[in-house]
Amino acid sequence: MSALVDGLRDGIHLVVTGDPQLYDTIGNTLSIAGRSTLIATLLGVPLGCWAALGGGRSHRWVRLVLAAGLRLPPVAVGLVLWLLMWPDSRWGGGPLAGLGWIYTTNAIVLAQTVLALPLVAALVAGGVEAVPGGLIQQARALGARPLAIAALAMREARPAVIGAILAGFGTSIAVVGAILVVGSGLSDATLATAALASWNAGGADAHAVANGLVLLALFVLVAAGATSLQHRRTAWTQLRS
Amino acid sequence: MDAAALLTLTGLRVDRGGETVLDGLDLELRRGEVAVLLGPSGAGKSTLVLAAAGLIEVAGGAVEARGRVAAALQGAALARRSVRANVEAALGWWGVPRPERPGRATRALERCRAAHLADRAAGTLSGGEATRVHLARAVALDPDVLLLDEPFTALDPAVRGELLAEAGDLIRDARRATLVVLHDRTEAWAIADRLLVLLGGRIAADGAPAAILGAPPSEEVAAFLGFTGRLELAGGEILRLRPGQVTTVAPGEGDLDGTIEALIPEPDSAIARVATERGRLEVRVAVPGPSTGELVGLRLLGGARFEARA
Repeated sequence: MSALVDGLRDGIHLVVTGDPQLYDTIGNTLSIAGRSTLIATLLGVPLGCWAALGGGRSHRWVRLVLAAGLRLPPVAVGLVLWLLMWPDSRWGGGPLAGLGWIYTTNAIVLAQTVLALPLVAALVAGGVEAVPGGLIQQARALGARPLAIAALAMREARPAVIGAILAGFGTSIAVVGAILVVGSGLSDATLATAALASWNAGGADAHAVANGLVLLALFVLVAAGATSLQHRRTAWTQLRS
Repeated sequence: MDAAALLTLTGLRVDRGGETVLDGLDLELRRGEVAVLLGPSGAGKSTLVLAAAGLIEVAGGAVEARGRVAAALQGAALARRSVRANVEAALGWWGVPRPERPGRATRALERCRAAHLADRAAGTLSGGEATRVHLARAVALDPDVLLLDEPFTALDPAVRGELLAEAGDLIRDARRATLVVLHDRTEAWAIADRLLVLLGGRIAADGAPAAILGAPPSEEVAAFLGFTGRLELAGGEILRLRPGQVTTVAPGEGDLDGTIEALIPEPDSAIARVATERGRLEVRVAVPGPSTGELVGLRLLGGARFEARA
């Protein structure tokens, strides 16, 4: 019990006093998660919108793939990416070996993006599908072209889109398994992996607890943002009906 | 294509859900007219609008438009933004330059008596208010062909009456062809220059409302337009009559006698369903008046005659 109390006390002290190592890790985490969330957003939002608005077979297949992507095991994603990025050697290299990303932050960004992308796209698709079909068809009847339709759908599904981006960010900052595989030389690159590395190195030390505390605080912020948006969306739905 | 025709549907066939809804439909909408399309539920009225607006695939035939077509579909679907922003968004979709949008939106809202709603959130509007905005959004575009699908449904009678009284002026434009789909026959008389009746996937009647009501082209059209009485005359003719074309008199003093089978109450009168030796009729009677089972004389005041089918 005293180890937990000591760890908490020392961890809070590191947070409050602005420990450089801790804040360096926070900065890394936000930077890497920010980049992967940005890429997942740039790709996932249009993809989700396209999948939701189209009624063709290809759209249905993409929705199916996105739904499957929600359950991707991070370690498996890490292993696949590791194989793809494995550098040239006497056993050959992976198809992405030329990028030279293995064990770099780029590999971590890629792993986080692969995990966040289907989540963002699937949640956006769900939000866009919930936009009343009558409104979309009405817009078409008044001359709206596909891009305008997509803009309308995204605007109507705005709370879901923002929620999807936040969820993507939450996934990015939480990933451990994939990062340890593709960035094993950078085990202190993010809060999640640094907490684990610190723990493995010396038990419940102050840095592990501090990393964990900040990570939890970020989770609470993301969850609060998503919940707040969800409530706004529910209120709108009740109003419309 | 007629010089004045702005929309021509030729041999239009539309299949939905494995069934043919429109089958070889021909229709031409001309500049300056307000045509009202009537038909029973499931006749394909909304399908016709969707096909004419290019929103669904057609299985056969052709849709030819001279100019741009806009449609206000059934149900006032408004986006989650202010009323003004809804109208301006539609103008944007239509390709109206941004600087022109506020002015056009304001004018359209004023014409539809919805200017006072401009800054309200669309989700807070009542059904009547939303309908006005829905109409304003379509009118603001100033299309060459305007299609309105049941614009007065889901409104309470007072609001519907108010809107109907204004609708003629609102939607009529000498440069435009307008097609209004209605479910209620009585609404059609208020605004139609031209009446179209859709039955069996085709236009079964097409003409001035008074002309069609005076001489329905077929017994099916007559039945749909409220000619509920049906008598088999000598020589194989069928006489269809509306309740207003029959009056009750003392037995033996009219054209024929009949027995009242049922009385259907109305606010200030009742519709009596009368069985005669030549068929059944409906006639409006005073309340209190004759009762069920009573023998009454019937005087016939017109009606529409048709050859009996073999």
